[in-house]
Amino acid sequence: MRSPEWLRSVGLAQSETWARPSSARDRFAIVLALVTIVGLATLFVFSKGTSFLMPGPLASAHGTIEKCSTCHTKSGSGQLSWVRGLVAADSHADSKACLTCHKMPETAFNAHSAPSDVLQQSTERLTKIAVATPQPQSARAQSFAFPTMDLVAGGVTCATCHQEHQGVNFNLNKISDEQCRSCHVVKFDSFDGNHPTFDNYPFKRRTRIVYDHAGHFGKHFPEVAKKDAAKRIPETCSTCHNSREDKLVMAVESFDKTCSTCHLDQITGKERVSGPKGIAFLSLPGLDLESLKKKNAAIGEWPDASEAALTPFMKVMISRNARARALLQTVDSLNLQDLSTASDEQIEAVTDLAWEIKSLFYKLISDKASDALGDLNIGSGAKLSPALVADLTASIPRDVIISAQQQWLPNLATEMASRQVTSEQDRDGWSTVTKGSPIAVSASPAPSGESDPVQAAASVTPDVSGGADTAPAAGGEWSDTATAASDSSGDSSPDSGTDGGDQTASTDTSSSNEPDSDDDTAANEAKKPVKFDPPACVVRVLGQCLVSNGSEGGTAQPKGAAGKTDAAKSKAANSNETSSADKMPPAMRAGLRDVMQAADADVTRANAKAAHGATDSGRRMVVAENQPASKSAGQSDDLLYPTEEELREMKALNAGGGAAAGPPGVTGKASTSNAPPEAGATIDAEASAGVPTARSQTAASPVISIESTVDAESWADYGGWYRQDFAMFYRPAGHKDKFIYSWLFLTGPQALKAEASPAGAVFDYLTNKDAQGSCTKCHSVDDIKSKGRLVNFAPLSIESKQGRFTSFVHEPHFGTMDDRGCLTCHTLEKDRAYLKSYEQGNPQSFAANFGAVKKDLCQTCHSSTKARQDCLLCHKYHVNDAITPIMTTKVPTQ
Amino acid sequence: MILASSYRSAGRRATERSIGLRSVSSAGFLSSQSGQGIAIAALSGGLLWLVWIYGNGLRDPRYFDGWVLAGGMSLQLGFHIATKTAMLSPKLAMRWRHFHVFLGYLLIAAFISHSNFTLPDTSFEWALWASFVLVTLTGVFGTYLAWSLKAKRGIDERIGYDRIATRRAELAQEVHAVVVTTDPVAAAFGLPAQPYDAWIMDLYTNHLRDFFQGPQNLTAHLIGSQRPLKRLTDEIDKLSPYIDRQGQEKLNAVRTLVVEKDRLDFARVYLGLTKGWMFVHVPVTYALIVMAILHIFVVYAFSSGDW
Repeated sequence: MRSPEWLRSVGLAQSETWARPSSARDRFAIVLALVTIVGLATLFVFSKGTSFLMPGPLASAHGTIEKCSTCHTKSGSGQLSWVRGLVAADSHADSKACLTCHKMPETAFNAHSAPSDVLQQSTERLTKIAVATPQPQSARAQSFAFPTMDLVAGGVTCATCHQEHQGVNFNLNKISDEQCRSCHVVKFDSFDGNHPTFDNYPFKRRTRIVYDHAGHFGKHFPEVAKKDAAKRIPETCSTCHNSREDKLVMAVESFDKTCSTCHLDQITGKERVSGPKGIAFLSLPGLDLESLKKKNAAIGEWPDASEAALTPFMKVMISRNARARALLQTVDSLNLQDLSTASDEQIEAVTDLAWEIKSLFYKLISDKASDALGDLNIGSGAKLSPALVADLTASIPRDVIISAQQQWLPNLATEMASRQVTSEQDRDGWSTVTKGSPIAVSASPAPSGESDPVQAAASVTPDVSGGADTAPAAGGEWSDTATAASDSSGDSSPDSGTDGGDQTASTDTSSSNEPDSDDDTAANEAKKPVKFDPPACVVRVLGQCLVSNGSEGGTAQPKGAAGKTDAAKSKAANSNETSSADKMPPAMRAGLRDVMQAADADVTRANAKAAHGATDSGRRMVVAENQPASKSAGQSDDLLYPTEEELREMKALNAGGGAAAGPPGVTGKASTSNAPPEAGATIDAEASAGVPTARSQTAASPVISIESTVDAESWADYGGWYRQDFAMFYRPAGHKDKFIYSWLFLTGPQALKAEASPAGAVFDYLTNKDAQGSCTKCHSVDDIKSKGRLVNFAPLSIESKQGRFTSFVHEPHFGTMDDRGCLTCHTLEKDRAYLKSYEQGNPQSFAANFGAVKKDLCQTCHSSTKARQDCLLCHKYHVNDAITPIMTTKVPTQ
Repeated sequence: MILASSYRSAGRRATERSIGLRSVSSAGFLSSQSGQGIAIAALSGGLLWLVWIYGNGLRDPRYFDGWVLAGGMSLQLGFHIATKTAMLSPKLAMRWRHFHVFLGYLLIAAFISHSNFTLPDTSFEWALWASFVLVTLTGVFGTYLAWSLKAKRGIDERIGYDRIATRRAELAQEVHAVVVTTDPVAAAFGLPAQPYDAWIMDLYTNHLRDFFQGPQNLTAHLIGSQRPLKRLTDEIDKLSPYIDRQGQEKLNAVRTLVVEKDRLDFARVYLGLTKGWMFVHVPVTYALIVMAILHIFVVYAFSSGDW
């Protein structure tokens, strides 16, 4: 075949080709090749590292990286170690090295670093759009010749898009529209070409804050302006909205600057017309004592006047183990105030519930709230931090609980000390298991020990005295429950209760109270977990410490434990101190002393030495202070008999109707400020007459000696704790109330709609339409599939935009708007059922206040001849961002 | 008549022995060159487009054009090995040579794409880049030489560089013989000699003798200028109107020999350059291959992304 002329014309001279190879030229060629090899080898030997192999400078952000192995993980530091890179290994190894500085989620190597389900949903949605979108030829060719599906399926490496060694000024984030297009099912030419129209942009979900723009503009604002011209009504959109520093979020101004004018009083309850303005937190639920008594239910003392219900918060606090949850399930189906038809099992459950409630009160008083509630079965089971418990209890003062206990359950310590404790206590924490409690129903406020003997006489298992006797024997109610209970259990058992129980108990008591019993006391002290300051927080969410660093010193051996034991011994020898009473200010101590004296007077007058073990710390302090160290067990009874002077004091107290007395829980007479003085006298008389009647505790509110027309609820107008009847209420202090927030935050994930639970009950209680605080009036509640419910406390933020593929910066567009301002793009749609969409939990099912933004509107500027229109202008690749962490620098030490 | 025929035979002999100009029509030449250029441009553009869509497919395009480059270089090396080992028949070798040149042009596009239209940054990259550029430039230069030899003036492909000196000596003898030859008829009758032969001898003495003695006009041949040749032929042409018919035939023979000598000088220059560029092209190619192999190893050892 003849060659074309043009080929022949460029051919070499045949003479050259046919000539014998030039030996000189070949020799030179071989020498030059050898020189090249030797030169490169020399370079390897004498160069530092392998930097001479580098194909180009790194981008300025990576300019300080000197070692190749920093990024090329297979490359070592030696001159030839890079050869190891030729061996096949993890294709993502180098990309993982990138993630040591650039923090990414676990889905970092997915397309867009997005979760697989998100990508799948997106692909399904876009596949429908792709059918109607014409594809450019180049996109078709690319898909055909070099498909990306397999490439992406294996995980996208960082270097796929971020090509390094391109020079100092190279933009590593550069990615072309064609590269974006290669993966996407919708392949279009440009934004002003066949880019799909917007799908209800920018609304992906309903707004987190429930704010009906149309309703406010058209109704509320005019009404408020008409009613009170002084109130601040927004005039422009920017009164409430501003573009934050991050420029990505058109944020809402703070509550104080916007909504508080009209809505603050709704939070604090000032505008509440009916129902309590506070949230019932702790209560002593009303029980059908008559039925319980008939069925010999041993619940101990219980006020018969209570009509309160068990609060959902208490249910959460009680239901910390399976037994307690089962117990609550049983009780939930009952009307506690009518147990006439209850079965024996249900009665037993109610009995257990009563003791659980008592245990709860006891623990809240005897221990720190963080210890008592730290193991609440909420918050994914992790131990709650003391700070969080403080929020969950709104830092309720102990005195508030003590005060309530003294009125509602004055003999709580005695009862708790005498209760049997099973081994389950050790396993399940402080929850007490009731097994044939020796304390029978005593529907009485049981002030001190006054009525105890009477009740003991009337009770089914009348071993109150034994129980009372053992109270001091427990070394004080404030000591460890298990220890106290184990000490007292033997003494207070039904067997030993009647036949010489007194004596036995007395002996035990005295022996335990004797200074000689230093060893026991010290041993008890040593057994007690030493409490330290709260440990460091490990997991913190929204400012709340959810998980502490290890157990709170409960098991740790404290420093100088031996010394502490010694100290305990010496203290026990002197004063048998087990409470913090000595640490109280003198004034408080004085008050307590008065109360104790009054109580002792009662005890004496009732001739019930068991009452000596009454519950308040003040009395215990009296015992500790007044009892001579050398007194024997037998002598200890003398202390129970008041002196003449004390008797006179008691009489004087009785004559005063309790008005001047200390806390009524101690005296049991001056039970309420509303109660007439005669009431106390009557009760007293009844008690002293030995009538086994359930006294009507007509008022359980705190006794105040100062006349006031302000009721407790109004007194807490601006938030805080108050007590009414048989419940303790918390009144929200204002916006961002930590009490409500922390409960909603913790119970939300467990508040599955389809499943009733104590946590769910709290959540429902705080989010119902008439809930105090009215949080969910504005903060919407989302149902999260199988993950409970979530109150959207935070408005739209940059964080909430994580995971979104589209971003928009408002500021550059401000100059392009016409006279309509924001309404140029956001058209107000007045007739939409905006509020109705919040009646259900799906945030994706909604009707926006404003119309969607159209692509045509953007296209008026963003086209090939005007403003930018590349993909990355509006879409970001890493939807969850890649964060470069701040270097962790240790503080220099000496 | 006899003399005239001897002069013609001398000229014809010279022409036959000369490196003879190949007749290439300008239209055919242009079309062939255009066709070659269009084909190379089209294939280069296609290659760049493939590289572009390869990069758009989330792959590093340097791997694609790099392997195109490596593959092309391997083919070129294969041609070199085949030539060295005399494995190819002359006809096949000619085809291979043509393909070698054509592929070389295509590899320029691949190389530009592989270097991402930028200059290198580091020493090793520079060495690699410079080697390739040197090989390419020498190749292009060699191609130009071959093309210029054929397109412009042409040389006898049977004449090697080593035979030029001998042929030059033959031409010198031939022109001398033509010039000194007198009219045998006039010499036989004792007639006085015509002045024409003296004039021709003067021409030879003043202008042609040195010309035929050795290589001349190196610079003019390097730049493709024919001015020195034209000057000589003009001298011959100026004398031609003043001499008789016999003299004119003699001048024609001389003129033919002058042109032949000029072509021989041209061939000498170009064949010398051809030997020279190969002295660069081949050895640098060896060095380039060594560095290219190292380059490939390094690239794969440090590769991070997808290719």
